[in-house]
Amino acid sequence: MSEKKLGMLIDLSLCVGCNACAVACKQENEVPTGCFNTWIESFDVEADGQIKRANIPKLCNHCEDAPCVKVCPTQASHRTEDGTIVVDPERCIGCKYCIAACPYQVRYQLPSGEVEKCTFCEHRTSKGMLPACVGTCITHARMFGDLNDPESDISKKLAASKTETLYPDLGLSPRVYYIGLDDTLAMPVASAVHKGGNVLRHYEG
Amino acid sequence: MVWNWMIALYLFLAGMGAGAFVLSGIAGMAKKPCPKIKTIGFIAGPVCVAVGTLLLVVDAHAGLMNPLRFFYLVSNLGSVMAWGVIILTLFIVVAAIDAIIMIVKKSTPRVLDIIGMILAVCVAAYTGVLLGDASVAFPLWHPIILPILFLVSAASTGFALVMVIAHGKAHDEIANIGFTVKSGMVLPVLEALLVIALLGTVAITGGSAAAAAKASVANLLTGGYALAFWVLFVIVGLAFPFAQALHKSMQEKKSLMQQPGLTIAGEVGVLIGGFMLRYLIVMAAIPVALG
Repeated sequence: MSEKKLGMLIDLSLCVGCNACAVACKQENEVPTGCFNTWIESFDVEADGQIKRANIPKLCNHCEDAPCVKVCPTQASHRTEDGTIVVDPERCIGCKYCIAACPYQVRYQLPSGEVEKCTFCEHRTSKGMLPACVGTCITHARMFGDLNDPESDISKKLAASKTETLYPDLGLSPRVYYIGLDDTLAMPVASAVHKGGNVLRHYEG
Repeated sequence: MVWNWMIALYLFLAGMGAGAFVLSGIAGMAKKPCPKIKTIGFIAGPVCVAVGTLLLVVDAHAGLMNPLRFFYLVSNLGSVMAWGVIILTLFIVVAAIDAIIMIVKKSTPRVLDIIGMILAVCVAAYTGVLLGDASVAFPLWHPIILPILFLVSAASTGFALVMVIAHGKAHDEIANIGFTVKSGMVLPVLEALLVIALLGTVAITGGSAAAAAKASVANLLTGGYALAFWVLFVIVGLAFPFAQALHKSMQEKKSLMQQPGLTIAGEVGVLIGGFMLRYLIVMAAIPVALG
């Protein structure tokens, strides 16, 4: 049997921006205040003469060519057998080089100094459960599974849909796929971008 | 921002210490002997690099709280930071041995001086390569131009540090390293050209990084860091020291000795500009995700 390669597929046409995923993740992983393993970027867009709400869930992309793993001097940031990128807190010195190397900016430093990020809920998936964000999603916008197994739900949906990834030109081969990402990003932004109740990017239009 | 003034100060001290060591190495091999100037850089160089390294350790909070984790630092030799640990350690050890020999025997083995100087160049360039290897996330940190820029700035600041101290402690030897008048003019010009090359190259970055790249350049030239960039880096750190060196080169050697105040002011300007360069490059950089 070939080795596992875990990934996620997010259908933006199904995401209503309810933030249940972000909340479930915070509870499951005890993420500190102000930090997120996953979050939703919500903003208004202009489409066909109307204003619509765009919601883009984000999280660690568990890149195949992960710069965080490359730059980590202590091998605290590493890839597990199923392709998930995780941080071993017992090896992390808190140099923050991985935070500096991540174009998706999905990492943060704990008050104790170690760096943390999304683990695809390794502690749950190793017991056959779904990541907290996927399990709680009210519209099944998030799908999770083995990309190497052609019979998995995620592989079937990937094969049947037009999917995109975030910043594909950076060449990092992210493993979080989206349906409708390019269409959403092509729409003119008509408001500030919000993340976790705060303004991530101000509106200058 | 990922890093703060502490890392900027480390990048500055490492570059300055390396530059000071190299200048003193050159002074030690000059036709007319400069034992005092050699002593200055051979002590100030490793001290600056060691203090900078200490700042790194303090900034790495999780390691500071669990010091045994620092032993893992060289477990991934694909990491530029691991190379840095090796380069910094080798430089500090070689320079410390050289300094001890110098204090005990008054002269140092030339081979050791040269090894130290090569390691010093590696230290200075490494500080730029370190940031450069994160350029996929922070497009301002160009992986080729930034190391060259930091190298030139390291020479500039290192020379300035040695000269500032030499005005007090080795006044009689300054004339023996006359090339520092010329380097005082050439290095700021070279640095200015490299900054223009850096910002110009970054500004035309395409693809997903384009917005973050443009925002980083704007942050320096017209945004929140513009005042510091133009006043403390361009005017205080480049234009004033350049004008000062130009003025000095047009004067007779004798009158030069009579007005060390202005010369020292120019050198202090170089040091301020050198720190500001590191600080601005670290602080004004915007990640791709926020572009």
